[in-house]
Amino acid sequence: MSLLGVTGLNVALTGSPYPILRDVDFSVEPGEILALVGESGSGKTMAALAVMGLLPLGIEMTAGEVHLDGNNLARSDGTVDRDASQISMIFQQPVGALNPTMRVGHQVARAIQINQQLDRNSALQAAINTIGHVGIPGPERVARNFPHQLSGGMCQRIMIAMAISCRPRLLIADEPTTALDVTVQAQIFELIKALVEEIGCGVVFITHDLGAVVEMADRVSVMYGGQVMEELPVSELLNQPLHPYTRYLLESVVQEVDHRVEDVGVDFALTGCRFGHRCLLAHEPCNEFPQLREISPGHRLSCIEKMTQTP
Amino acid sequence: MTLYPSSASDRPTDSPFVPQRIFVPTELSLPRRWISFMRTNPLFTVGLFLLSAFVGLAAIGPFFVGDPLRTNITEMFSPPSADHLFGTDEYGRDVFARAVHAARLDLTIGLIIAVVAMTIGSTVGVIAGYFGGRVDEIIMRLTDVLLAFPGFVLALIIVAALDESLLNVVIAVAAAYVPYFIRLTRAQALVEREQEYADAAQLAGNTPIRIAFRHVMPNSLRPALVSATLVTGWAVLTVAGLAFLSVGIQPPQAEWGVMVGEGASDIITGEWWTSLFPGGMIVLAVMAFHFIGDDLTETRA
Amino acid sequence: MRKYLLKRVATSLLTILGIVVVVFFIVRVLPGDAAAVRAGPYANQELIDRIADKYGLNDPLHIQFVDYVGGVAQGDLGISIRTNQNVTTELLDRLPASLELALYSVILATAVGVSLGVLSAHWQNTWIDRLLRIFAVIGSAMALFWLGLLLTFFFAFKWGWFPGPVDRLAVGSEYPRTVTGFYTIDGILTGKPSITVEAFRYLALPVMALAFVLAAPILKMVRSAMIEALESDFVRTAKAVGVPQTRILFVDGFRNALIPITTTIGIVFGFMLGGNILVEFLFSWPGIGRYAFDAITTRDLEALQGFVVLVGVMYVFLNMVIDITYAIIDPRIRLGSGLTK
Repeated sequence: MSLLGVTGLNVALTGSPYPILRDVDFSVEPGEILALVGESGSGKTMAALAVMGLLPLGIEMTAGEVHLDGNNLARSDGTVDRDASQISMIFQQPVGALNPTMRVGHQVARAIQINQQLDRNSALQAAINTIGHVGIPGPERVARNFPHQLSGGMCQRIMIAMAISCRPRLLIADEPTTALDVTVQAQIFELIKALVEEIGCGVVFITHDLGAVVEMADRVSVMYGGQVMEELPVSELLNQPLHPYTRYLLESVVQEVDHRVEDVGVDFALTGCRFGHRCLLAHEPCNEFPQLREISPGHRLSCIEKMTQTP
Repeated sequence: MTLYPSSASDRPTDSPFVPQRIFVPTELSLPRRWISFMRTNPLFTVGLFLLSAFVGLAAIGPFFVGDPLRTNITEMFSPPSADHLFGTDEYGRDVFARAVHAARLDLTIGLIIAVVAMTIGSTVGVIAGYFGGRVDEIIMRLTDVLLAFPGFVLALIIVAALDESLLNVVIAVAAAYVPYFIRLTRAQALVEREQEYADAAQLAGNTPIRIAFRHVMPNSLRPALVSATLVTGWAVLTVAGLAFLSVGIQPPQAEWGVMVGEGASDIITGEWWTSLFPGGMIVLAVMAFHFIGDDLTETRA
Repeated sequence: MRKYLLKRVATSLLTILGIVVVVFFIVRVLPGDAAAVRAGPYANQELIDRIADKYGLNDPLHIQFVDYVGGVAQGDLGISIRTNQNVTTELLDRLPASLELALYSVILATAVGVSLGVLSAHWQNTWIDRLLRIFAVIGSAMALFWLGLLLTFFFAFKWGWFPGPVDRLAVGSEYPRTVTGFYTIDGILTGKPSITVEAFRYLALPVMALAFVLAAPILKMVRSAMIEALESDFVRTAKAVGVPQTRILFVDGFRNALIPITTTIGIVFGFMLGGNILVEFLFSWPGIGRYAFDAITTRDLEALQGFVVLVGVMYVFLNMVIDITYAIIDPRIRLGSGLTK
């Protein structure tokens, strides 16, 4: 049984018929790293926030189930009943994601206190331990600092400390290294992989960087325009992606082909495939929403064209 | 419908906090779209209606009401009635007529002050922001000093030093608001001068002055224009406040502040209409400016 | 931090110098004939000449300037044309009355503005929020003088809850021995609490009028600062970790909103120094605002410039205090960017 199973996730602006996320499906096994890949605006962060129950004011989950270890956390009113020991999340822009007026040690301790029924002093001590555990030297000293006094890499480690201190079953990492240097990036990746080994949690790794995907993930889910286009093991990503959009992505990165494909010029219904307006293979049947279907074990595809073209 | 304050507009588009504008689907007919707009921006709509009412009143009202200066002792202090909508004051003058004429005076003056302050302030602000360095420092120091005076007090002392005339009132109150516009435009100019088009203009061989005024300035005006409605409201309040003290505009001129000032002592003897109505009009007019101005500043997208 | 403090004090002193220069310019240079303006519209040439002599208005400008600045530096703001008294003394005599009024107004306005602002932010976009925002707009648009009139009419004359606008205490009342100059406090300090009560009764209406107008911008700023804090990334992190909503509101939200809120309180105080004149006139309050009004009606430019300089200096001082408070509250300023050892 999967650790995390998200099915039929639909997210929209409150009161609007135009969906932000359309029938999003993905799952994560224990100890597995799933990469959620897409351009800006593809909805990957939104999907994560929906799972976390952190959708902002004015945006709501209109349908979907979020199964953790088999239990559906999503309630009928669109909220998600989750606590930090189930699913935890780390964010982009680590310095901004920490409270500027609170010492970092205190922030981690607070997370521990809330989730582990410890008293203040024990929580603080546990916090210092965790901070040391994520690779920060001299944790007692660092804990007394405020976020603006620390580097981006250190702040991200602090956030990771906050997230894992609750021993979550699943960790969601939203572009954790986009704002950091490449060298620090590598360190953070190593840290996450080590923690996965140690705690045995699953990871949803959100990124727009295909290089990071190859380095970190076991499986990949490709999104565009709020729709999951393709889901496949990373090994197959490099060899034979089937979805037109995935191929575009790869070709832009690997072969540096400029695929800034402009609108094809045909108006596709808003209920159809979200890539339709940029897809060279698009035609009439693409006006109907292509469901995510399994094309081979572990490989799912959302494309009418390609499904009818099985080699 | 806008959802979030525009301060979030510089976040990456993947972030959930991007302001999402929902456009009414264009399939709806024109009146339906208006109704929809009014529903989603209620305060702005109210402000717009109120302001239009006042502008209408100011523009054509004076042609229909009586003479604001005509006295008639026999009718003094008569309460509001069909003949005199707002009653009469101690000289028997029709309060409504005076209020309508005052509307024209106050709104016009408020607007002129705002425009003058914006023009001067924006010019200076762009110069400070674009040229930077010494020029900027000097201008900012001066602005800081001017801002150390509460606006009302500054206007007060300038009018006191000069003659009592309408022109001087405009000068004095505008002077109080110029620093505000300087700050606003300067901040925007600082941003604009880093934009690509400024570089392009420079490469094309334009002189700095030309770039500053022809290219940077129009783009730096946006926050100032947005604030213009609010400033007009403030200007009306300030002018009325001064007039209440008989500074700048004095009796028997028909001006809202003057009327409240004249009517202040009437309250004790129970004649509330001489000061309540003109005062109420001030509040309504300024509220209209605020409803519009606040909405504009919040959805600056 | 120390460097920041020094820099701030230096800037303030420079600004004060600027204030003095600007006031001098307005009061001595702007008027066509400085002596004639001061002498008033009914003066004859002899009076004008006498005034010009007495105030040195015929001296070359730079000498006037040096005299003036020198005087101000020593605390001498000149002689009032109307009363022939030392302006500084007259102002200082009346200052406590104005300060007492100002203090209570700001306290009330802050209490109301902050609590309503937090409420408004928490219930953003609900009817509560809409109502509060309309309330804020009314407050901003309110003509202070009109509100004061209204309050007087209803509460003093119609319903008699509070006394009419006469003074700080009833006519013929005993005045407390001066310790602070604040009747509300002196009453208690000198063992005569009835004076304190009476002082509060007379303060009630003007304070309510001022507080209503001052609360509006505070409410707006608190609301917007709280909303911005609540929508920020770090609040999202706190929610992700499971911090309960009330804790988030007060600890994460409010602490970070304190900074723009403090600025607003400064601005509000500044406004109030100007609103002073209107309220003090309406309520016959014997403060510096009333003094300024009397100076205006008699074209007493000497007294008026003293008032403006005093107000300017108070404002600069206030801003400096606020900036320094900032530096203490905000760890980003207090600690700089290096790691704490």
